[in-house]
Amino acid sequence: MRLEKSFKLALNILFHSKLRSWLTIIGIVIGVAAVVAIVSIGEGLQQNVQNRLSGLGADIITISPGGGRAAGGFRGFGDHNMEQTSAIKSSPKNLTKRDIQLIASIDNAKVVHGSVSAKGAAYYLGETATVSVNGIEPAEWKEITTSELESGRFLGPSDYGMIIVGSRIAQKTFKQPLVINRMITIEGKPFKIVGVLKESGGPGGDDNKIIMPINAARDTLQDIGNEKFDSIIIKAENADAVDSLLADIDAKLVLARHLTEKTKDYNLQSSKQAQERMASIAQTMTLFLGAIAAVSLIVGAVGIANTMFTSVLEKTKDIGIMKAIGARNTDILMIFLLNAALVGMTGGILGISFGAGISSLIPSLGLRMIGPGGGEMTTVISIKLLAEALLLSIGIGMTAGVIPAYRASKLRPVDALRYE
Amino acid sequence: MKSPIIQLEKVWKTYKVGEAPVHALQGVNLEIHRGEFIAIQGPSGSGKSTAMNLIGCLDIPTQGAIYLDGQNISELSESDLAQIRGRKIGFIFQKFNLIETLTALENVTLPMIFQGIPEQEQLKRAKKLLEQFGLGDRMHHKPNQLSGGQQQRVAIARSLAVEPAVILADEPTGNLDSKTGHDVMKFLRELNTKEHKTIVLVTHDDELARHADRIAFLKDGTIVKDIKVRGG
Repeated sequence: MRLEKSFKLALNILFHSKLRSWLTIIGIVIGVAAVVAIVSIGEGLQQNVQNRLSGLGADIITISPGGGRAAGGFRGFGDHNMEQTSAIKSSPKNLTKRDIQLIASIDNAKVVHGSVSAKGAAYYLGETATVSVNGIEPAEWKEITTSELESGRFLGPSDYGMIIVGSRIAQKTFKQPLVINRMITIEGKPFKIVGVLKESGGPGGDDNKIIMPINAARDTLQDIGNEKFDSIIIKAENADAVDSLLADIDAKLVLARHLTEKTKDYNLQSSKQAQERMASIAQTMTLFLGAIAAVSLIVGAVGIANTMFTSVLEKTKDIGIMKAIGARNTDILMIFLLNAALVGMTGGILGISFGAGISSLIPSLGLRMIGPGGGEMTTVISIKLLAEALLLSIGIGMTAGVIPAYRASKLRPVDALRYE
Repeated sequence: MKSPIIQLEKVWKTYKVGEAPVHALQGVNLEIHRGEFIAIQGPSGSGKSTAMNLIGCLDIPTQGAIYLDGQNISELSESDLAQIRGRKIGFIFQKFNLIETLTALENVTLPMIFQGIPEQEQLKRAKKLLEQFGLGDRMHHKPNQLSGGQQQRVAIARSLAVEPAVILADEPTGNLDSKTGHDVMKFLRELNTKEHKTIVLVTHDDELARHADRIAFLKDGTIVKDIKVRGG
């Protein structure tokens, strides 16, 4: 008997199955939906990280204060200020002008830029809010940033009282959007908005920041001081030079600051390293959550096996009839195996639809990612994920159906025909 | 001389009921020739159902040999038996035994599906058979939408689908009223006379058995009488 025919008969059984079969299918639907939704969140997380870090550019190295990896390992992820606030707590701002000059003298360092950041109280059209402020050197910042302008212009060297704002802060912080040529008061000083940035795409970027010249930031914000920097960002001549540059910077800093590996008081990280680390964290998280969701799939599989056993029992007479009119054991086996596969597939398709539905609703709920990243939660539903989920559910159906189908195939026709 | 299409040689069938062996058939010898219409008649418990199962290749004997078309089926595997059933035997059951979820047409094509007959051919044959049995307008009805007589006619059409050498009818009128039962027997008779099908009718009913050309009486697992009631 050809497979196509077994398939038709299996389909016939499925269409005539009772409510019980559909309940079984729901078990698979829930499991698959959970897996699809969770994995899509995980993949979204991974993509966010990629976006965020590729936004930094592959040729970027970041130095931040802090000892060892624990304090500043997530430098590349999410909102600057929150991490740096925590870095401040564990170690003082200790990057200096001298460090910048030292690094600038290294061959492959194309641009070296020191920046400061802090929170400040902003007042705009009758409203107040706390905002994150980055103090930057306008000339160098232009070289290293990947942000683009929505309107207005970048800061110039003599723009002391001027700022540019990130897209999110421009749109969402105050009732009235921040637009160019408007004035905003930060820590009691007036600033003129000269530029609004485009949305960076990723959850990080400069979307949540106000950017002002570093000298203005030092004069305006507290806790910044006059000498120290919160981070130094180095742009390499090209992406290939990053690794050697990283080593050179490390060697020079250790020497100049009289440190050893153990007493190191700064973090040095290329965007590539950060990307790899975050990707691996995101992957582990996805795997972990996926495994939890998979438990419900196992429960679903047991349900299918159970229903299949009952179905074989119910169909005993039909099996006897089919055997009497010439069905071989393998024909019966195929019919029931395909039936189980179809149960799995139906559950899979419905589950994928639900899972995809749930996952596409998540971003619109405005949930934010847990942890210091704080970016908006997005999800990615790839064709690969859907194909895998479908194959998985078919596989589960078939695995669960093997034993019942085998039993059905082994029924003696005489006994099966007698069954009422 | 024509070789028999079915031959039972000292056939024993023993079942175990608890510890005690029960001999359903005890050394049965029987030859059925091509084109014969034979009734195996006996009261309940006589072993006629067992005989039908063995002739129909649904089961194998405990002892002895059964030849179908010259082939000894006593030693075949279940898969080989299925092949033989599918090709050489058409079953008609008392309770029709149609598959409830399939239409009349699908029920008739089913044995052909198992034989790997091409789909076009399946449909052509099934439609022709259903029309032959006056079910041309009932092809797409499910068994529960058909009367008992109609269901049995579908079952007869199904039994003929693979053009088997032998039609095995087990109390084919048992669930039908007398008129419909009569019609069914008329169909069987026609199959025998017009298409020269070998027909084995298994029944407890005297009157029904008299439709056959020959009656083998089964009692307590042995054939006690084998008589010709008509024909040469």
